[in-house]
Amino acid sequence: MILLPFAHCWRRIVQGVLLAFFLPLAAWGAETLHVLAWPGYADPDIVKTFEQLTGAKVEVSFIDTDEALWGRITASEGKSFDVFAVNTAELQRYIDKSLVVPIDPSMIPNVARQLPRFRNLKEIPGVMRDGKVYAIPYTYAEMGLIYDRQQVSEAPTSIRALWDPRYRGKVLLYNGGTHNFTLAAQSLHLAKPFSLETQAWPAVVNRLIDLRRNAMGFYNQPDESVDLFRRKHAAILFANYGSQQLQLLKAAGIDVGYAIPEEGALAWLDCWAVTRNAKNTKLAAAWINYLLESEPGQALVKRQGLANTTTQSPVLRTQDRLKWLEPVEDTDRRTLLWDRILAGDRASKVLAAP
Amino acid sequence: MRFGIAFRLGVLLAAVGFLASGLTGFYAYYVSRDLLVQRARDELLTSTQVLVRRISLTRQEVSRNLQILATHPAAVELLQNHSVDLQNRIAVLFAQVLKTNPYYFQIRLISASDHGLERVRIDRDGGKALRIQGDDLQEKGHYPYVSDTLTMASGTTYLSRIVINHEDGAHAGEDQPTVILATPVVSDSGQKLGLVVINLDLNGVFGLLKADLPSDLDLFLANSRGDYLIHPDASKAFGFDRGRSFLIQEEFPETKPLVDGFLPSVTLNSTRMQHVDTPLVATFVRNDVKIPNDEGRLIIGLAQPLHKVLNQGNQLGWVILQIVIGFFLGSALLAIFIARAISRQINSMSHAVRAFADDHRVLPLPVKRNDEIGDLARSVEKMQGQIKHQLAELQASHAQLEHLAGHDVLTGLPNRRLFQDRLEHALARAQRTGENFALLFIDVDKFKSINDRWGHEAGDAVLKFTALRLATLTRKADTVARMGGDEFVILLNGPTSRKQMVGIAEKLLDSLRAPMQVANQEILVGFSVGISQYPEDGTTTTALMASADQAMYDIKAAGRNGYRFSSPSTTSPGEI
Repeated sequence: MILLPFAHCWRRIVQGVLLAFFLPLAAWGAETLHVLAWPGYADPDIVKTFEQLTGAKVEVSFIDTDEALWGRITASEGKSFDVFAVNTAELQRYIDKSLVVPIDPSMIPNVARQLPRFRNLKEIPGVMRDGKVYAIPYTYAEMGLIYDRQQVSEAPTSIRALWDPRYRGKVLLYNGGTHNFTLAAQSLHLAKPFSLETQAWPAVVNRLIDLRRNAMGFYNQPDESVDLFRRKHAAILFANYGSQQLQLLKAAGIDVGYAIPEEGALAWLDCWAVTRNAKNTKLAAAWINYLLESEPGQALVKRQGLANTTTQSPVLRTQDRLKWLEPVEDTDRRTLLWDRILAGDRASKVLAAP
Repeated sequence: MRFGIAFRLGVLLAAVGFLASGLTGFYAYYVSRDLLVQRARDELLTSTQVLVRRISLTRQEVSRNLQILATHPAAVELLQNHSVDLQNRIAVLFAQVLKTNPYYFQIRLISASDHGLERVRIDRDGGKALRIQGDDLQEKGHYPYVSDTLTMASGTTYLSRIVINHEDGAHAGEDQPTVILATPVVSDSGQKLGLVVINLDLNGVFGLLKADLPSDLDLFLANSRGDYLIHPDASKAFGFDRGRSFLIQEEFPETKPLVDGFLPSVTLNSTRMQHVDTPLVATFVRNDVKIPNDEGRLIIGLAQPLHKVLNQGNQLGWVILQIVIGFFLGSALLAIFIARAISRQINSMSHAVRAFADDHRVLPLPVKRNDEIGDLARSVEKMQGQIKHQLAELQASHAQLEHLAGHDVLTGLPNRRLFQDRLEHALARAQRTGENFALLFIDVDKFKSINDRWGHEAGDAVLKFTALRLATLTRKADTVARMGGDEFVILLNGPTSRKQMVGIAEKLLDSLRAPMQVANQEILVGFSVGISQYPEDGTTTTALMASADQAMYDIKAAGRNGYRFSSPSTTSPGEI
């Protein structure tokens, strides 16, 4: 008789644990998770596996530009979607507008599987604000230097190789003002390459004009770069598309090497973020957690040629530095000045008022 | 409702006429559509090839202009020794060339040195030729059209890919579809000094080319990868420039061999057009650019909405429809005519047959016709003849029977039945007119003994003699009949006095008593005659007959071979 109250109490504990375990699953069974992602981030088989695991239903929408992403999320103030993929630079304006909510990493046990450079979120600019985590890294691409082994005997160690007069007319560059300004600032060892000081602009512009004078051409698309590289015997290429371009050039039969400059290769990092109006943040966390499993990670590598955050990239050494992209001080100004530089204007014209 | 043969035949003939003309018309229309589509395809192919040829010619013309400018001594000199005067002279020359060629965006002289600095540059700006000078001149060494052209031999032409020109400060040409042609400027010693560059206004060039084509044609232009450069839906052109490719082989899968370089041209009928809902006929021709260039090949296409192609077919279809209706009406009229012609003959025959059946009238039949109706008419006529003949025979035998019924077979005289009839007629007439008549009963005396003595044949011969003589002695109007056995009777019409009767009776007896040549010998036969007269001896036939009979028996009783009137007062004094 003495044991009875204890037994009663024990039963309640067991019931509580069981409920805690099964209730979310049972609740998810009736719920739908609305995902907004880039093509290749949530293939149907991956989605199906997640649905079978949780019993929830997943509806995935795709976007293919940053602007489309911003448009979809802002149009509904995040009500139409629970979770979406966004790069760290873009993420800032979502945080500014309170369109996303902090994520509790303890809800995502699989972060423990991530490589150290992704686990240490404090070192990744933009994913945290005010001590809170707003995004979980998912996939990334670094912008290394690709070089022709026949013409470049030693792997370049610095992005200054792009300015090397030995490669005049042999340097292939990306036609992107924002990145190129950062690149020039990096080469000048400026402390904040993403936010240029007013007095730094003339030096950076002159640096870019020098870069232009060293350039063989500027590409937009990966296949365009491969065509130019092969046809015009480029020596060195700034790989905006990273290892994807490396694969393409190797496939084209060109003896190329890949180098991560000591200044740190610019890299974009796509993360998962949860919207303010997410109906079920636990389900959203379960989705992010699932995508850090090895199966979705391998799908990124094998199907998309992208890197994942849980396995070491074959083109990266542990000591290689990555410079995660950040929002720049003035995208419009960089674009305007870059267009002038590209058109062939000289410094005085480039820096003139619009 | 009863449908006669004429109606049914007419409907059948009209239906056959309608079917024949309708099917022919439909087939002609159907074939004509195919022919029209085929012709449209041929015409489109020709037009497209003409377009390709004219693109070539345009390119050659630009090449010639480039050569003239690149070999101009002032240009060669300027690139070697900079001089404002030379610069001005070339600028005037370039401006003139730009003015005379409305689809030139830019003409430039670019130096191989100074990172490809422009030395002379004339831009089109609005309608004017604008000279760019001083700090506005740009360095273009990083553009492939500069570096590539500088690797080329003197006199050759560089041809760029067709792109949207994003070079900042290009004036009219900025953000417009452009193709760049360039040629190196070479010194006497063979050194590449620089290049002359002409930017072409792609829309302008194709606008000029298209001006000569029918307005309902859609023009397509795609590059070697199949990216649209010109598309009726402008948003599909240069999609790659905006990060989204629209490929010709995706819209028209039939063009894939063209993009892959397996076929020189394709023509197609497409109902899968995305930019229009209407099906169309289209031709695409591959234009491989033979000179060294970045574009490799262009695919030029012309398309025409199918309904426009088939419009002519619809006109033809309308004409065919009219012809079909005409043929149908014609065949209907013909059918009515034929049906009526046939039914008239049949009706006339049926009328003739009916008339013949009703009262044996013979109406004319179309026996002269040399066809089935003629055959039928002749058969009917023959049948009518046979029927008439048989009827005549029937009537003849009927008359004969009638005659036999009323006449005595041996003597041919009317028999008792016929005589009775005539007597009643005579009585009726006498009662009506008040005229008189008389009956004379004549009996062969001792006829039985003639039979017994000379046989029945002799008896018959006596009877025949008697009949003959009686017939001879009387008038046509009188009746002589054999009443049976050896009895004869005469009905004498007309008023007859006793005196006249006496005369007649005596004359009769005289004639009868004449010897008869029977069985090769003459025999003498006596007759007894009893006479009654109307109205004196009776007013009924029975009474008159009985009176005459009585009178005859009286004379037989009185000794035979004489005559006696039934009323004694009238008894002839001349009796024997």
